[in-house]
Amino acid sequence: MSTVAHAQPAPDLRTTLLRAWHRLGYLRYEPTAAVAGLLVVVLSYLVLAPIGAMVLDTVRVQFRDSATAGLRAGALTTYYLDRALLSGVSGTLLWGPLVQTLIVAVAVAAISLVLGSLLAWLVVRTDLPGRRWLAPALIIPYILPSWTFAVAWLSLFKNRRLAGLPGFAESLGFSPPDWLAYGALPIIICEALHSFPFAFLLFGSALRSLDGQLEESGQILGASRPVILRRIVLPLLLPALMSAVLLTFSRTVGSFGTPYILGSPVRYTLLPTSLYGNFKAGSPGVAAVLAVVMIVLGVSLVALDIYFLREHRRFVTLGGKGGTRRTIRLGAWRPVFAALATLAFVVATVVPLGTLALATLMKRPGVFSLDNLTAEFWLATTIPINPGQSGLLRNAAVLDAAWNSMRIAGSAALACGLIGMFVGYSVVRLPNSRISHFLRHVSFLPYLVPSIGFAAAYLSLFALQRGPIPALYGSMLLVVIVMGVKYLPYASRAGISAMMQLGNEPEEAAMICGAPWHKRLARIVIPIQKSALMLGILLPFISGMKELSLVVMLATPGTELLTTQVLRYTDYGYSQLSNAVVLVIVALIFALTFMVQRLTGSGLAAEVEG
Amino acid sequence: MPQIQLERVSKRFGQSVLAVDDLSLVFPSGHFVCLLGPSGCGKSTTLRMVAGLELPTSGEIRMDGRVLSSGSSGRFVPPEKRGMGLVFQSYALWPHMTVAQNISFGLEMRGWKPDQRRQRVRELQELLRIGGLEERYPLQLSGGQQQRVALARMLAVNPDVLLLDEPLSNLDARLRLEMRAELKRLHEQLGNTIIFVTHDQLEAMTIATEIAVMHEGRLQQFAPPLEVYRQPANLFVAEFVGSPSMNLFSLDEAADASLARSMLASLGLESDRHTRVKTIGLRPEAIRIMVGETYQQDVAWSSPATVETILPTGAEWIVRLQVCESVAFARMVEEPCFGSQASVAIAVDPADVHLFDLEGVRLASATPGAGARLAG
Repeated sequence: MSTVAHAQPAPDLRTTLLRAWHRLGYLRYEPTAAVAGLLVVVLSYLVLAPIGAMVLDTVRVQFRDSATAGLRAGALTTYYLDRALLSGVSGTLLWGPLVQTLIVAVAVAAISLVLGSLLAWLVVRTDLPGRRWLAPALIIPYILPSWTFAVAWLSLFKNRRLAGLPGFAESLGFSPPDWLAYGALPIIICEALHSFPFAFLLFGSALRSLDGQLEESGQILGASRPVILRRIVLPLLLPALMSAVLLTFSRTVGSFGTPYILGSPVRYTLLPTSLYGNFKAGSPGVAAVLAVVMIVLGVSLVALDIYFLREHRRFVTLGGKGGTRRTIRLGAWRPVFAALATLAFVVATVVPLGTLALATLMKRPGVFSLDNLTAEFWLATTIPINPGQSGLLRNAAVLDAAWNSMRIAGSAALACGLIGMFVGYSVVRLPNSRISHFLRHVSFLPYLVPSIGFAAAYLSLFALQRGPIPALYGSMLLVVIVMGVKYLPYASRAGISAMMQLGNEPEEAAMICGAPWHKRLARIVIPIQKSALMLGILLPFISGMKELSLVVMLATPGTELLTTQVLRYTDYGYSQLSNAVVLVIVALIFALTFMVQRLTGSGLAAEVEG
Repeated sequence: MPQIQLERVSKRFGQSVLAVDDLSLVFPSGHFVCLLGPSGCGKSTTLRMVAGLELPTSGEIRMDGRVLSSGSSGRFVPPEKRGMGLVFQSYALWPHMTVAQNISFGLEMRGWKPDQRRQRVRELQELLRIGGLEERYPLQLSGGQQQRVALARMLAVNPDVLLLDEPLSNLDARLRLEMRAELKRLHEQLGNTIIFVTHDQLEAMTIATEIAVMHEGRLQQFAPPLEVYRQPANLFVAEFVGSPSMNLFSLDEAADASLARSMLASLGLESDRHTRVKTIGLRPEAIRIMVGETYQQDVAWSSPATVETILPTGAEWIVRLQVCESVAFARMVEEPCFGSQASVAIAVDPADVHLFDLEGVRLASATPGAGARLAG
């Protein structure tokens, strides 16, 4: 037995050096630590530095203001904070948009929750007819870009306030008032139509994983249905409900496209559009203040969500496999609910996409006659009513934008997927180390930051030359980096969970068999993680193809994307062309989503379908 | 076959966790040594340090004369250069490779030609009785087959040292027994040095040539299985090895004291004032249960007892007894002729009594008197 403790002698220089050499020798065979170290440096620069630079921008004199203010650029100032928070214009710049943003977000979260959870309950627990096809069909609006609905709304309801062709309603003899055409109401409806499937998904999977025996135990002990619902089911579903509300809220706060398209005509400004307006109007200092406000809002919402989830983890993990449970019979209500669910699908998917498609085939929208049909918006060399523009499929600007979208989203997704996999690899290979914690948390940080605020942060850091890094504004590289970093949370989560699931042992087995590091990666780790890696690339690629909030401030005439092209056409009043571009984006997204489903072997609605 | 030597090896995780604490141990050449202990005792960490998957915080690990890793000389041989074999608890078969590809991977790393590899894979399939599976993927195999493939993969390169990390714990009881026999057969046939980690004391007892019992990162006892069972070095080993575990009666426990005192008195160890005895241990099979006429006068110590409950396992009967104020388990190989609540007498042979001191260390012979009787 050797139970006697012995004192370690104080290490002399020789031992210290030998130990360092020892460590180095280990590193040579095990370069994971070196890879992880490199990731720490890269992520610090790409995640932490931009946010830091932007926070500094709120209290430093901007270059463009230095001449008028008579101050050196970079000197400390409270001017921007004063202007945004306290001055006479602070109402228009910050407080008004903030209040309006909160109103819109609360309304959207409430509608999404009610609609989403009702539909989830119908699909999961009742004998609703057609629930097999409704489960995936009700997810579609969430796959579409969020502003698809705004573009479609404009096609349906726009009035004479905006230039260009009239909307469907106008042509049919009904002139929509401003409150119906633009502003708060349509923004809320459009955002809610986009986000209710999120509540549907979250609530549906929670409902499905709820162990039927929990309810049956209550029943055996003599509880009535309402009591079971109130005392057993609702408390168990509370975390899912909270998540659905908070995450919908935070997504709505950060959404740019819809408030821009539907709010601008009546100057109904939300935080993201105010930020964009200030940036375009040349006051980046105020824009930085707004971005910081948005980031604080976003971080606190997600932090709140994480807090609630942690609070509830004690019993959330209790959820069983679901098991068999009786389907609730709707009886006489069956046709009513069936009609309601079908209506949700029609309004959220068929109507907007149908409107967009019809509009691109009509000379005058809303005039239903054969001689009004046309293919000119798709095929003509010059469109008579949009001077200087050719049909979409031969339009150089659109084709360029499509090519840009493909390669920007493609390279961002590729980088993102690979870095995410390496983050996962490092985190799992160096468990409980400080590096591993740092990587895990910092790679998640971009998730907390609203897209447009993140873009503003990047502009703070990269608009000017700093040290050896040249000014990147206007370059494609900047858009790629921003996109790659913003989607990193998804890729690194995927990477971490894939590597966690695999564990270290397959690689260690290869080590024992005599395979050096590069062979272990090439022969063991990457082949096993092939489909996780593909997924880690494809999902960011899909997000990138429909991204607007993140790129709208970064796109310049040379780096126009399909999504920013939609805004450009909307601004010009070329509504058919913008509709057609939206349809192209939607078609691409559907094709990519189909690939993802083939890859994972399960639909996006698998959790709800069961 | 090489011998593996650990000298004052410690392993720390972070600042607080001391997984292995100043461990010195020799794994003799060609022996089959089990590292036995509860989860978290540092046995797997020790194995992983031998394999080179973990770096010792201090101390030296040698294979014959060759230093594998050392805190003072700065030498470290990476796992891929140690030429050992390691079978994981999860098997860690590569799911994207067929059985044949899994087995020949190590050979490929050593630069074997394809036809040589094919020949060697066939040999291993024969050795481990997994013929006809070469084109299957690991997920298409049963647990027992996966286990054999994992072994074949490591044996393919003919390692002098084979490390096994709880390789049988994912198998069902029947397969586990079969694989134990298989491992013992392989060891007798190939003669490599084997280090086998397990928390299952029965497994260690049945296959090892020596058992190293570990607890809280420290070595408790290193001895052949029967010695570990018959002469446990301390209370921890006594309690950990054997099922049901050894009955322990502490002189400091109010409920046990009267029983322990009467046992000590009949052994000639009047009271704890004259000895260093703090705890008395009795294996369940050492307790003889007697009813009425079978009562014998020539036993050293006996006491009345009440049967609380009887647990038949098929081959034997475990009897829970109330003795004085203590509870004891006895094991019988014959069907009991009494039921629960029966009043019986129990008897113990002095040679079967284990004594432990204040630190829980085994006392070979506490006093001359007891020594003579214990030896007798």
